[in-house]
Amino acid sequence: MIYLDNAATTKPDAAALSRAAQLYGETYFNPSARYGGGFAAHKLMEDARQSLLCTIADPALFDLIFTSCGTEADNTAVSMAKRGNAVTTAGEHAAVYESFLQLRARGVEPRFCPLSEDGSVSPEALLALVDEKTTLVSVVHANNETGAVNDIAALARAVKKKNPRCIFHSDGVQAFCKLPFRLPAEVDLYSVSAHKVGGLKGTGALFRRKTCSLQPILFGGGQENGLRSGTENVLGILDFAFAAENFSRLAEETERIACLREKMWAILSEDFVRISPMDGSPYILTVACRAARGEVLQRMLFDRGVAVGTGSACSSKKPVSRVLEAIGRYDRTTLEGVLRVSFSAETSEEETVQAAELMREAAREYRKKV
Amino acid sequence: MEKVIIIRYAEIHLKGKNRGFFEHALATNLEKSLKGYRHELHRLSGRYLIEKFDETRAEEIAFRVSRVFGVRSYSVGYLTGSELDEMYAAVRLVAPETGSFKVETHRGYKQYPMTSMEISAAIGGRLLSERKALRVDVHTPENYVYIDVRERGNALVFGSFEDGEGGMPVGTSGKGLLMISGGIDSPVAGHMMAKRGLTVELLHFHSYPYTNEGAKEKVVQLARLLSPYTQVTELTTVKVTHIQEEIHRKCAAELNVTLLRRFMFRIAERIALRRGLSCLVTGESLAQVASQTMEGLTSSNAVVTLPVLRPLIGFDKEEIIERAKKIGTFETSILPYEDCCTVFLPEHPATRPKLDYIEREEGKLEIEALVDEALGSVERITL
Repeated sequence: MIYLDNAATTKPDAAALSRAAQLYGETYFNPSARYGGGFAAHKLMEDARQSLLCTIADPALFDLIFTSCGTEADNTAVSMAKRGNAVTTAGEHAAVYESFLQLRARGVEPRFCPLSEDGSVSPEALLALVDEKTTLVSVVHANNETGAVNDIAALARAVKKKNPRCIFHSDGVQAFCKLPFRLPAEVDLYSVSAHKVGGLKGTGALFRRKTCSLQPILFGGGQENGLRSGTENVLGILDFAFAAENFSRLAEETERIACLREKMWAILSEDFVRISPMDGSPYILTVACRAARGEVLQRMLFDRGVAVGTGSACSSKKPVSRVLEAIGRYDRTTLEGVLRVSFSAETSEEETVQAAELMREAAREYRKKV
Repeated sequence: MEKVIIIRYAEIHLKGKNRGFFEHALATNLEKSLKGYRHELHRLSGRYLIEKFDETRAEEIAFRVSRVFGVRSYSVGYLTGSELDEMYAAVRLVAPETGSFKVETHRGYKQYPMTSMEISAAIGGRLLSERKALRVDVHTPENYVYIDVRERGNALVFGSFEDGEGGMPVGTSGKGLLMISGGIDSPVAGHMMAKRGLTVELLHFHSYPYTNEGAKEKVVQLARLLSPYTQVTELTTVKVTHIQEEIHRKCAAELNVTLLRRFMFRIAERIALRRGLSCLVTGESLAQVASQTMEGLTSSNAVVTLPVLRPLIGFDKEEIIERAKKIGTFETSILPYEDCCTVFLPEHPATRPKLDYIEREEGKLEIEALVDEALGSVERITL
């Protein structure tokens, strides 16, 4: 199996998992327990927190709250919009987008910034929506469907200049450990997820600038400084830290992966339309086969030994992607045939070429049959 | 004293000399529906009694019983000794705390020292003196307490009659093959035919990779929801992808669905005959969609000799939906997965295709070879 659906989830990092499992097997205690074992579990978790923090942030400025997934981290962040209006983009993952739609019921006006032709958001368009009543701005770092990358540092700076009191959040699930990035002081909240970098499903985290006030959406035993109650997923957290450590080392692979992406595109260009921008995340190549159904191509490819995505796995029950539609450049016939190829550091050139050839073959076969 | 479920059966008493056959089928089906539950099933005259089960699971067992065709009504009650004190102890468990009531006694054991009226009076009197908020009303009581004095010093005590599904025990009216899609109608059609005692086996057509595993999984779920009624534990699937591709490539687009349905009927009949099933069952309803016009139905019937039962033929969609909700398949039926036809669906399907036109178009295909190929893709999924 050539696995090219890494933006949906990554194969678990076996070394990280066995290291985490061993520690967890020995120190399975509840981290809140007030005896030695509990403290030991707590200590392991704090080491993991520190290690994850240091990956992209200055631990003097930021802390990190563990959650059950990226979606929970996004929901926690968006729930900080308490009044006035909140601004986001049309290119958000459903976790942010749907949370914004919920704001209306709480008396907050959601505003959606249109996308540029490459799927990113321009500072002018974003700033046009921000005013003195804006309480929260949320912009995705790397889009999960197109790979379009937003310059989060510049956007945050511009937003804060216009309204210094609003909270700036970014969904970094597809960017964390994949794009060279340090959290600037203008970003207040930043969501990440373990299973996109070789960790386990069921663990996410929210980076928080220490001076940014945050309120929980789950109440209970007061874990995570009262910001996220619920017994901590120690195994998932340890594994997240180890996996991210290994994954970050592969950041040097970025250039090689960008080459793979272009190599693949060279093979596909005759039969597909390119949706991913040239300067987007090197890990994502989204293309469309006009007049075909992406989902059918996806299954044809899976049966030939290649796993790729269509649009976003989370929204693939809907026929056409909301995000790709928002770009406004493509008609429905194109959007029905979308395939998303997402690479990992493990992807080889040989696999890339083979997968691209199979994709081309499947597209041609589809056209012949249907 | 022990908790029991009393089961009364429907229609079976009409069947004269065949009574034993029907009773046996009902008992077999009750046993099947209670598979996995510790219990004993005993036959009394005109009734069945479920005993020796885990009393904390009485509700689950009663729910299963309520879905077995042939059960007219059932009651959860107590089997107790027939001494007055013993019966009263059970009555206390089923009797209401407030409101009006009536005790109704049936005395099957005629040698019992008291008459039915005397038993009712004695039990009712004790209950009245203990529960001050109760009053007797023998004409229109809000609640009943039923006592059934039986032979060998036993009595059954219960508080209400619950409706069963009625109908005939599955397996007493032959066997058929239901063509089940992922939609709302076909599970309802299967339910209706099973209610008349037909053993309903299930056949589903898919066109992977144009349809996905989700669509197939949805049919498996529907089949599981049907199985408490139908007792069927298997789903057969057949892949018709190549047939659809060939029709699409060679025949008039407006006949896509008509032609595919004729293939489905042919395949279904071959499978039915192989398994000794004597009819096909579909969820078609006259004029509901383009392929369900009189001409559409005729064109499907023309390729088979087995009778095709269409229990929903005269139903409105709303009526079908109501039934689907009642039997519990509706929620699953409306899950958003595409079933067989949609990828190749023509924009304007023919609603009144003439048979000679259909046959002319179909003549462009290798019918037998395609049917054989599809039959080679049969998969049997255990539910």
